[in-house]
Amino acid sequence: MTIEFSLSNRQRDTLAMVHQFAESVVRPQSLQWDRDHGVPHDFLRQIAMMAQSMGGGLVMGPGRSSGDEKEPSADEKKRRQPALSTVLGAEAMAWGDAGLLLCLPGAGLGGPPVRASGTPEQKKRFLSVFDDMSGELRWGAYALTEPGAGSDVAGIRTSCRKDGRHWVLNGRKCFITNGARASWNVVFATVDPALGRAGHRAFVVEKGTPGFSVGKIEDKMGLRASETAELVLEDCRVPEDNLLGGEDGYRTKEGFMTAMKTFDTTRPMVAAMALGIGRAAYEHAVAFVKEHYMLARSVPRYAAIAERLARVGRQLEGARMTTWRAAWLADQGQRNAKEASMCKAMAGGAAIRACIEAIEICGAEGSIAGDGRLLEKWFRDIKVYDIFEGTGQIQRIVIAKRLLPDLKSF
Amino acid sequence: MIAFEPSEEQKMVRDAVAQFADRTLRPRMREFERARALPPDVVAAAHAMGLPLAAFPEAVGGSGLGFVTQVLIEEELAAGDPAAAFALGGPGAYGWAALLLGGPDVAKELLAPFAGEAGASRVGAVAWGEPRAAQGRAGLATVAEKTASGWRLTGEKRYVLDAARAQSFIVFAQVDPAEGWRGVGAFVVPADARGLRVTARHETLGLDAASFGGVALDGVEVPAGARLPFGSESPNVVWLFATQALLVAARGVGLARAAFETTRAYAEQRKAFGKPIGHFQAVAFTLADRATDLEAARAMVWRAAWDWDQLAKSEGGKPDARQALLHTAWAVSYAHEAAMRAGDDAVQLHGGSGFMRDYPVEKWMRDAKQLGLCGMTAEHADQLAAAVALDKDLDPGLVLPSAETQSAFL
Ligand SMILES: Cc1cc2nc3c(=O)[nH]c(=O)nc-3n(C[C@H](O)[C@H](O)[C@H](O)COP(=O)(O)OP(=O)(O)OC[C@H]3O[C@@H](n4cnc5c(N)ncnc54)[C@H](O)[C@@H]3O)c2cc1C
Repeated sequence: MTIEFSLSNRQRDTLAMVHQFAESVVRPQSLQWDRDHGVPHDFLRQIAMMAQSMGGGLVMGPGRSSGDEKEPSADEKKRRQPALSTVLGAEAMAWGDAGLLLCLPGAGLGGPPVRASGTPEQKKRFLSVFDDMSGELRWGAYALTEPGAGSDVAGIRTSCRKDGRHWVLNGRKCFITNGARASWNVVFATVDPALGRAGHRAFVVEKGTPGFSVGKIEDKMGLRASETAELVLEDCRVPEDNLLGGEDGYRTKEGFMTAMKTFDTTRPMVAAMALGIGRAAYEHAVAFVKEHYMLARSVPRYAAIAERLARVGRQLEGARMTTWRAAWLADQGQRNAKEASMCKAMAGGAAIRACIEAIEICGAEGSIAGDGRLLEKWFRDIKVYDIFEGTGQIQRIVIAKRLLPDLKSF
Repeated sequence: MIAFEPSEEQKMVRDAVAQFADRTLRPRMREFERARALPPDVVAAAHAMGLPLAAFPEAVGGSGLGFVTQVLIEEELAAGDPAAAFALGGPGAYGWAALLLGGPDVAKELLAPFAGEAGASRVGAVAWGEPRAAQGRAGLATVAEKTASGWRLTGEKRYVLDAARAQSFIVFAQVDPAEGWRGVGAFVVPADARGLRVTARHETLGLDAASFGGVALDGVEVPAGARLPFGSESPNVVWLFATQALLVAARGVGLARAAFETTRAYAEQRKAFGKPIGHFQAVAFTLADRATDLEAARAMVWRAAWDWDQLAKSEGGKPDARQALLHTAWAVSYAHEAAMRAGDDAVQLHGGSGFMRDYPVEKWMRDAKQLGLCGMTAEHADQLAAAVALDKDLDPGLVLPSAETQSAFL
């Protein structure tokens, strides 16, 4: 092993391509998608097919969705570094537009739990629906949050009870990304709230299942191109084959672990997206200062601005390094729960700071006029990165538990 | 490839240094502090391990292990005792100045006395800092005037690491007053040169075992060959200070680690209100943040060190030194601030005990502040980072420790 910071040829080529695409194709449409609350499906199809032809590597794209595809071997992971490549691509794409990433068809956040906990048949059945992107677009989604339980995952109240060869689900899910358009949602429910995590079950609830309906579509501060939905489950009858992992998987605390395992792979990715937005804002501010500030202001003012740019740049770099490391650990087959939380917390914080500072440095001219409006959008988009996939506070709890083994919770 | 694991060779070196730090430095840290020096046996042990010459290229008499290995070494030493990392003597910045400003032939000659058993007590020093700024012009107040056979140096130097121990100095002085910071030259001056007087040692806030002092130059005559042959447009002065600052940053990482680990253990064991203090969220979150700081700072230092190693390897080519400078500047400010936060929080979480010298944490807090003044400060590093980001000309005066900031320990 070594300590090294160069990209493989494959990573470099992919990254260059993604960047070029983000710059020339994505950026120019970004504001329009924000206003339209969505990305045109034709465009999404185009990207999806492109990603597929590249064999994945683009974030959350459908490339790795196929149920037939075998998990890469440990050696292959070390060599090809799928997690690292993903965070590199995620940063570059989010730099173009973060909302687009969440709109991309494919299993999305629903993919990791199915891959991690699904039986071979389930993987094939649920993931293969994304194999053909030429026709109707399809999404998967991940439905954990409820009106009464977000951070406190163990406190979900959506109930499930066995009835013959079906499970009957009752409850509400909220803030579910792509929940309404999804072909299926991974829905978390409990057999008995008193059992806590041991009572949790994860179901793949397909669109059209009797008793499943979509409630409100949220109107949000940012990421407005992305759909965020409320899901309603009223005596929703889910076939027993849709219990993720089958009943054997729940003899222990596995139900909850399914929910949590997911985060170890998704958090670095979410961190990388935050970094993409943060870097966009940072670069915008640097360009603005170059053009407007240089030598036109007195020295103390200039020094203060320089200090702020440096601070933003370094916080992003620190977060980027922790993100790379968390992803690298995943590729090495090592535990990374602590590091995944570290990078998520740090990236969210750093990128929000980047957007706030950039707005302050660029002022009205640089943040709401002309191209500057992108900065205003990034400011709105970024905040949620310190909220979803576990808030900054929750990340600190995850880290602290790993620093202090006796600590149960707060 | 991106990778975060030291090579087998690096691990061997690191583990050996860690053992030395653990067995020899940490237990005797307070003894060194009281003595305001490292005892000869400790210096000799480090010399015997080859630490002082480890990173220098083989061509100039070093072990050729490079900067990445060197930052691993620095972190371990500082985790044992931050002051010891500064007080080991050897060539240090003097050797790097010889290499970067003098070239391989000069470096080979100046490094030769540091090799072998006789070299154990050999110390080189760089005299840069000054008590007062030059009046009415940019540049150093100390001047070098041309004589028939060489140069005459006149001025006063302060904050010189190992002023009282060095057998030889590299003294920076203004050669061409009209050229500002670009008109600075560097001269090899033996400690017993006529007209050179070592002035009183400074009493410092921290890092007491390291000796910082002054040098008065009263018309010191040196031959023409004593001047290191770098030109006024050479970027190497900035490179020298940047790379030295990176080594200090690596010590900051070691310091932060020591403070964090000690505090983490204390938070598990110290009880208040019936439970370990670490089980209170305010304390646990603080620990989580410091742990994250440590991860980020270390990875940033590694990346910058890797950049410099790449640069050293790519002789002749036009490698991107600005990238190395940017990563270095970010790493330096981040690590300095992370070390300070670690020291501060360590005392805070120890409560009143932390204030007492029975516990190590107050020392680390003092050391952290002192460390931040050694060479490039966080403020300087921020200016450097911004200058690179904004495509500014990298005038040495922009970033180098100077009389205005009174920070020039090198
Ligand atoms: C745009 C968007 C998309 C989303 N997509 C999805 C999705 O696809 N699937 C899904 O399941 N969910 C999704 N979510 C939900 C998201 O994961 C939750 O909003 C998040 O986990 C926080 O939960 P909450 O909103 O209930 O806040 P709460 O849990 O009520 O938290 C409120 C505040 O209290 C703090 N807090 C809570 N507990 C503690 C504690 N123990 N210690 C200290 N502080 C604490 C939190 O940090 C936060 O600041 C999405 C949310 C948004 C905004």
